[in-house]
Formats: sequence, C-alpha cells, structure tokens
Amino acid sequence: MARSTPTYTPIRNYAIALILSVIFLYADISNQTFAPLRGIVSASTLYVQIISRSITENIRFTFASFKQNKYLLQENKKLRDQILQIGSKDFVEKKDNENKVQITDFQDTLSNIFKPNDINVYKIASIDLRNYFCCSSHKIFLHNPNKINIEENFSVFAGTSYVGQTKKTYMNFIEVILLSDREHVLPIKSDFFYCDARGKGKPMLISCKLNYQNDDLKNKIGDIVFTSGFGGIFLKDIEIGTISEIVSITSNEIEVVITLKTNPLEENFYGIISKDINEI
Amino acid sequence: MKFKNHLIVLLTIIFGFWLDHYFNQFTIRYFLELNFGFLIFSYWVFAMPEKIHSLAAVLYGLAVDLFFSNAIGFNMLFFVATSYIIHLYVFRFRIFSYFQLSVFFSGSSTFYIACKYLLLSPNNYSYLVLILSFVVNAILWVGLYQIMRAFRRRIFYN
Repeated sequence: MARSTPTYTPIRNYAIALILSVIFLYADISNQTFAPLRGIVSASTLYVQIISRSITENIRFTFASFKQNKYLLQENKKLRDQILQIGSKDFVEKKDNENKVQITDFQDTLSNIFKPNDINVYKIASIDLRNYFCCSSHKIFLHNPNKINIEENFSVFAGTSYVGQTKKTYMNFIEVILLSDREHVLPIKSDFFYCDARGKGKPMLISCKLNYQNDDLKNKIGDIVFTSGFGGIFLKDIEIGTISEIVSITSNEIEVVITLKTNPLEENFYGIISKDINEI
Repeated sequence: MKFKNHLIVLLTIIFGFWLDHYFNQFTIRYFLELNFGFLIFSYWVFAMPEKIHSLAAVLYGLAVDLFFSNAIGFNMLFFVATSYIIHLYVFRFRIFSYFQLSVFFSGSSTFYIACKYLLLSPNNYSYLVLILSFVVNAILWVGLYQIMRAFRRRIFYN
C-alpha cells in the first residue's frame, strides 16, 4: 500500500529557485544591491499615483467651476501652500539669526550657509505608512518637479526641527530617510550626555545606549535633547525632542528613548539645506 | 498555462498585497497584520498545482518584491518554499477539512510574518502580532477560499 500520494515535484528546479532567492535576499539585505531598482519602481509608482491624483483633482475642479468656486479654491490652496512654505523657511531663518548673535566669529560662515538659494522647500510625495507604523524602514519621498540636484546626506527639516536626511534621488523624487529609521544615526546631546542616537524603527522614536545606572537618571525624563553637530550633517543646538523613557539594559547600561519633536505625518512641506555644512 | 492566465493570477496576488499594504497601516496599531497577498498565492498553488511551479513562484515573488517589499528575494524565497510544500502534500490537503486547511495556511502566513519581522524589522517583532494574525488570517482564509474559488471557476472555466 502506498504510504504517500503520488505527486510530481522535481526538487532540482525548486532547489535552484530557492538558492537564487537566498542569494538575492542576502545581497539586498547586506549590501542594498537592489536599492536603486526598488527606488526606480517606487518613483514610477509615485508618478502613476500623482498622475491619477491630478486627473481626479481636475475632475473635481471642473465640477467646482460649475459652481463658480474654482477661482476661490485655487487661491485658497495656493495661499495655504504659501503659508506652510513660509513656516518651514521661517524655522531656519530664526535659527540663523540666533546663531549670528551667539557665534559672531562665524557670522560669515553662517550667512553663507543660509543663503536663501541654499534652502529649498519640497512638497511631500508619499510616505510608506505601513512600514512607518510596523517596521524598521522609515522613508518618505519628496516631489522635486524642477529636478534640483540634491546630493546624499543633506539635512531635511520640517515644522520646527529636523526630520531626517536625503538618501537618493530617483527621477523627480528625493528619497529621505527619517530619524526614526533603524539605519539612521543622529549625534545628539543633552545636559548630561552625548551619544549617537539610532532610530528605533517606531514612529517618532530614537534611542541611545549609555553607561549609567537607571537610578541616577530617574528625574531626567522630559529633558530636552539637541543635535550635537558632530558628523557635519545637522546644525548643532537644534531641539530634536525630549527624553520619554529610560530603560535598564544591564546594571550599568541604560537605553535612553527620545520622542522626536516633529511628526512627519503632520507636515506637508520639507526643507532641504542643499549645501554641505561642517561643524559650527 | 497561457501567459494571460499567469497575468490574471499575478494581478490577484498583487491586489492582495495592495490590500495588505492599505489595511495594515491601520490594523498594525491593534497588533494585527493581515496577509491577503500570501494567502491568495497559496490558494492558487493549492488550486492549480499542475500549473504553478517553481518558475512561476519565483517570478510572482520577484514582482511582489519589486512593488511591496523592502528586500528583493524575500517573497521569492517564501513563494518558492510554500509552493514546494503545497506541491508535496497537495493531494493530502484535498481531504483536509476547512478547519485543517485554515490552520495550515494561516500557520504558513504567520511563519511568513514572523520571518519578515525577524529579517527586516527585528525591533518590531511581537508575539501578540503573530497570535492575533494567526487567528484572524485563519478566519479570513475561509472567506478568501470561497471567493477565490468562485473567481477561478468564473475566469478559467468560462
């Protein structure tokens, strides 16, 4: 009597397919081999989304014009966008003025850094919400219709603080890695520590490990954390967030969890300081 | 199987992953990860094992990886492995009850979710997500099975 049902499943083909998949997966996880390919596919998908969205908006506008509201709607949208853009630029200009007062020796450098042409404001094209809420990869795409040349590792801000840094450009889109991405490292400081904070892969959270005892730092929850300026990507003394949790790892090691100040989900416009800055 | 039919199968799988992509951003807050895409792929292999072999599994996996994954090769690997296991035991599965099938396919999809978290996002790994997803995907499988069977009969036998 047969012990198993007769099936024809050639193991060789499956073994080859399995090995091929493993090679692809390993190459991509360890060396990001296919990142450009994925980026191009993401950018193409975004194009399709934007085109379909603009078609929908056009239809909506057509209906609105029938009700003689078209002009008002356009004007309203334009003004709203301008207010958000001004708000984003205002943050950098304020910081520029503060720094000019505090560090008079570097006035020339700072004024060079913050020439209006060096700050570009971009509208968000998409945010991968599924990964943002569940997984390690936290990225957004910014719309770059004028194809302004943006290099890797320029700091990106939104609202009143930094949110991440540029990673790559695909077609008309700029990929930005957020501070909460697991691969992102941000040099930070508070009044009692300096460290390189790594994204936790959870919304608005970064953390760093310190050699302290938990009891020493119980009253530090709620303290403000700033950028330290090390690394030359982010300006120093920009408020990044507050300490929200301190977790003991071993008897002499703790993890300080920081909740970021800016929520990327609430921002429409992102500024990129498109000039390399050294430590200031 | 004709290219057109492969395209239909692939489109249903991509539709499943799109549903996951859309719904999971809301459900993940309640520790639940739906897995329509993987279940739809499993259904097709289960329903038409003689037509979906290793090459189809690799190509479907590659397409899904390109559009939905954070790493090329992940879905390829799981599609090939799942396809192989289903092919091995396909006739035994035919005598399984709905409950047994639900447990098997939901278990596979939970294993897929667990590996996804372990490989691509270890910080977010959670047993609660796995347990809840197992239960909900088991329930979803029954409905999905009925819908996909009706769809298959309509498309492939007309």
